[in-house]
Amino acid sequence: MIKHLAAASLLLTTACLATGPATAADPGITDSEILIGDVEPLTGPPALLGVAASIGHKIAIAEANAAGGINGRKIKYVLEDDGYVTARTIQGVKKVIDVDKVFAMLGISGSGQSIAVMPVLEKSGIPTVIDVAPVKFLWEPARKNVFVVGQSYEEGIIHLVDFLADKNPGKKWGLITQDDDYGITVRDGFDSVVKAKKLNVVYSGNYKKGQQDFSSDMLQLKDAGAEVFLAGGIIAENIAMTKELEKLNIKPVTGIFWPGRIEPVLKLMGPAGDGIYAVDYVEPFAGAAGKAFLEKAKPLVSEAEFKGINRYTMTGYAAAKVLIAAIERCGKQPTWACTISELEKTKNVETGVMAPISFGPGVRFSNQKLQIMQADAATLSFKPVN
Amino acid sequence: MQYLIQLVISGLAIGAIYGLIAMGFAVIYKSTGLVNFAQGEMTMITAYIAWTISTTVSGNVFVVAVGAILAAIVLGLIIERLVMRPMLGEPVFATVMVTIGLAVILRSAINFIWDAYPHGLDIGMGRGIVHLGGIGVRTGQIAVIATLLLLLAAIWAFFRYSKVGVAMRAVAADDRTALLMGISATRVHALAWAASSVIAGIGGVFFALSYDLSPAMFQLGLKAFPATILGGLDAVLGSGLGGLLIGITENLAGGYIGSGMKEVAGFAMIIIVLMIRPFGIFGERDIERV
Repeated sequence: MIKHLAAASLLLTTACLATGPATAADPGITDSEILIGDVEPLTGPPALLGVAASIGHKIAIAEANAAGGINGRKIKYVLEDDGYVTARTIQGVKKVIDVDKVFAMLGISGSGQSIAVMPVLEKSGIPTVIDVAPVKFLWEPARKNVFVVGQSYEEGIIHLVDFLADKNPGKKWGLITQDDDYGITVRDGFDSVVKAKKLNVVYSGNYKKGQQDFSSDMLQLKDAGAEVFLAGGIIAENIAMTKELEKLNIKPVTGIFWPGRIEPVLKLMGPAGDGIYAVDYVEPFAGAAGKAFLEKAKPLVSEAEFKGINRYTMTGYAAAKVLIAAIERCGKQPTWACTISELEKTKNVETGVMAPISFGPGVRFSNQKLQIMQADAATLSFKPVN
Repeated sequence: MQYLIQLVISGLAIGAIYGLIAMGFAVIYKSTGLVNFAQGEMTMITAYIAWTISTTVSGNVFVVAVGAILAAIVLGLIIERLVMRPMLGEPVFATVMVTIGLAVILRSAINFIWDAYPHGLDIGMGRGIVHLGGIGVRTGQIAVIATLLLLLAAIWAFFRYSKVGVAMRAVAADDRTALLMGISATRVHALAWAASSVIAGIGGVFFALSYDLSPAMFQLGLKAFPATILGGLDAVLGSGLGGLLIGITENLAGGYIGSGMKEVAGFAMIIIVLMIRPFGIFGERDIERV
């Protein structure tokens, strides 16, 4: 009898060790709840992306909760505002990990903020899916617990400039970028295509972050005779540049990057925005996939939140779907180790808002497929062109 | 030549907006001896209120203008009564810090009350483009230059001939003596905050008309502050003219030296001017700087 009891105890101990630490070991999980944390800019101009991304997370969470949660556990979303201030991002991430004790992280804020907070994430070992600002530093080198959904800024710019160069051979080019890490990435991507395709760049400007009047910059662009123009602003800057070009009575072929590819921008640009090219890895809202997403989102968020939906809502939604699916695959007793392992096994996960998402052993970047879109001022929408 | 003229006209247009906001700084400083670091935020709030009126009440230019002016007066008075008046007699440093705190609160209010999206102020005019000999100007830009010039004349007459204007100058010169003469300093302060809010708000509305509304608009205050320093912190008219000078200088630097110089040019200019005239081009010598 004693022999049998000892054998049973040994088996039980072995079984426990084999399955890894259970709920007691990893925070953010109870019998009825799983906490997911996020830190985004919810105030200030970058709230445009932070609020939208958080709405995407909420939609995916509401969808999962409506279907019964993750293996019976409801998901609770803990959201902190960093105001796009790096020090506050670090504080916020520490707070949701150490005080709120969340099980996993989504987000996180802008590219500079994500980079700054990386040591905290790495040290904590918490499963994290980043979706707002994909930059290479976040996945090179690969960190065990940090996954990135999206495409790199540099690849995006290369794709856009390549497309415009093929479509407009022999034309004169103009470029203006912001004087920060975002601007440097845009310029690096642009320069690589200029070198490869020997483009004729007649204007190259660099504006200070926060600049609102682009009259002299666009006058220089006109004076230089640029026929193709890469507007390297984010949102308000691109609007100001386009309207300035309209005032100067010129309309070069213009390309913008995805941070500014939001529909309200077209309304503000007016007719001057018609025909502008953009690159992105999420579906345009004017397409079938975009419309289906909006239909899905409508009953899951408030009216105010629905109005705040933009492309970042799609990136947030996709990342949350991938994370939720990974936790779900871990069964009744999900752990950090299992979630990270399942995230790594993510293979062609369909989210409906971008190409299927995959990671792999040592691969922490989903490397989304890019597409070119063109603005239609009449319908205030972007439509795919390839 | 056309290139130069286009740069100067665009510089005058943005400079007129800086000038209006700079006058807002100067009105408060002249009457209270205080630098209001929330001036850009007050400008932004008035512009957002104008936009709200245009989208919810009426897009008629007169309705929007009257509504925005009334709202700016109320905003200025509320801030003076609730935030600034309790600070009367406190150290200048503490009072300035209060305006910085106020700036942060007003900035955040944009996201709480409105949203982070850019919006266009559509009142049926101001967005059209006039081409004069190949030079393009928006009608709103012509209007803001004209408005600044009119306001400069009106404010000059107000300080020179009206009883209230003379009372404000008296309080600015020596508030205790003014009090003995029967002038209520608190009333003058309230009037200054309301007037400052209206003048700067007009600048904000014109900016929204020519460009757009966004939560980044508060930065106009940072651009207008050098204009006040250049013109003279205590010189309301000088601050307006300082705005025009900064606008033209920025554009010429951006157009002839390079994009990167545009934002630096205004500050470089005030360093040079202050080395020669530490109290600004039109300022009085014995002002206290913060």
